[in-house]
Amino acid sequence: MAVPLFLNALEQTGFSTWLRESESVFGFYFILVLHTIGLALVVGPNAAIDLRLLGLAPEIPLPPLKSWFNLMWLGLAINAVTGVVLVLAYPSKAFTNPDFYLKLTLIGFAIWNLQRMKRQVFDGLTQDEEAMLAKGRMLAVWSLLLWAGVITAGRLLAYTCSYLVYGVPC
Amino acid sequence: MDFPHLHLLLNHFPIIGTMVGAGLFLTSLFVRTEDVRLSSLIILIVVALLSIPAFITGVGAQEKIVADTSISNDRIQRHEGAAELAIWFMEVTGAVAVIALWQCVRRVTPAPWITLAILVFTLLTVALMARTGNTGGEIRHSEIRSGEENTAADAALAYFEPSPARFTRLMIINKWWWAFMMDMHFFGLVLLIGTIGMLNLRVLGFVKQVPIAALNKLVPWGLAGFGLNVTTGLLAFIGMPTFYTHDIAFVLKIAAILLAAAAMVVFYLSGAFRDCETLGAGKDAPLRAKLIAGTSLVLWFAVIVLGRYIQPLQDSIAR
Repeated sequence: MAVPLFLNALEQTGFSTWLRESESVFGFYFILVLHTIGLALVVGPNAAIDLRLLGLAPEIPLPPLKSWFNLMWLGLAINAVTGVVLVLAYPSKAFTNPDFYLKLTLIGFAIWNLQRMKRQVFDGLTQDEEAMLAKGRMLAVWSLLLWAGVITAGRLLAYTCSYLVYGVPC
Repeated sequence: MDFPHLHLLLNHFPIIGTMVGAGLFLTSLFVRTEDVRLSSLIILIVVALLSIPAFITGVGAQEKIVADTSISNDRIQRHEGAAELAIWFMEVTGAVAVIALWQCVRRVTPAPWITLAILVFTLLTVALMARTGNTGGEIRHSEIRSGEENTAADAALAYFEPSPARFTRLMIINKWWWAFMMDMHFFGLVLLIGTIGMLNLRVLGFVKQVPIAALNKLVPWGLAGFGLNVTTGLLAFIGMPTFYTHDIAFVLKIAAILLAAAAMVVFYLSGAFRDCETLGAGKDAPLRAKLIAGTSLVLWFAVIVLGRYIQPLQDSIAR
């Protein structure tokens, strides 16, 4: 696959070069740390909600879990920003890897699924437990599968690539 | 304080600790005192945790003597193989003890299979750890070496013992196996933060409409995540031992894990959890519980941060 020139231009910018080459602890790996914390804030609470919707720990009341979504949106915001920064550090590496597109696609579906869960299960006016569970079960299964896919695709980015930077094969 | 010192300090805990734990557990079967049983389980869990740094510092200690030609490398390898067999039995013992303690704290009598599993694994661990200690002692103490005559039991155990070099190669020979282990390590992280992390947040006052006792029902899933991460973490360490021992982020991460686990033990056994257990929706937790929960949360996130800095901080401890 021919690598578009603008990726080279992106890599030559001062910020991108600094991210890759800085010896500072606030360089590339600091962004990666924030990206992992964001992941924990999105997928951690979501996995707990999924387990609850699948019938575990029925003592947990469902309606207040709606407030947990704020924490998940915060995690998503952190990861949207840090994700863009990580791509800025290695644009050629990201855009020439099919796994990167797979990850983005899965994230898209996972967020769509999360929003449906919020609207269909937690925004309901009835807040009838049985009704919430009936609507939530399939969404919970999809949530677990999609986030597992996102994490796996993300992890595989560390083991798959065609180019490290423009013109430099891995 | 370097790795040889730390190893000599820590390596006695798995041997003597399992003996004390096993003795107390056996006693609790006859005396039937709740306190004795609780004490034995706590000791087994603490020893299972302390075995991790004992195992890790062994690699650092080995590096200091490996150049000394007066020391037999075969003996070091035998000791390492014995340790690589014993550590798994130790961690399984710890895991079963956690299950039993979880039931005890909730005043449920442990199921018979759990009692049996603790008995079997503790006694096996006592034997395997004694063997690890013996082979370790033989590295330096010529007076305890028994020549070449091996007992039948020792020969049988040696059959199951991994060759350290082969075990290491097995972990790193396939890139996709390594990727799979790291993937599972992230799944464990998510389970831990999603359950234990959220419980800590609730104790601190986040979304108080969820009762603490209800949220606590998900904690076994977090413990399962912790078990997954101890397993994949130990396997990764065996795959690249000297990569990790020369990394300050890794050493600090292990310390943070042990402290986070200690915070959990304190939370459940100090009465802090009992104070929270009866609190209904919307009720604020007492200050003591909040302090422990806050410490725990900071430590688990420190574990994540330090884990991510392992790669860039490689060789931060001089070779």
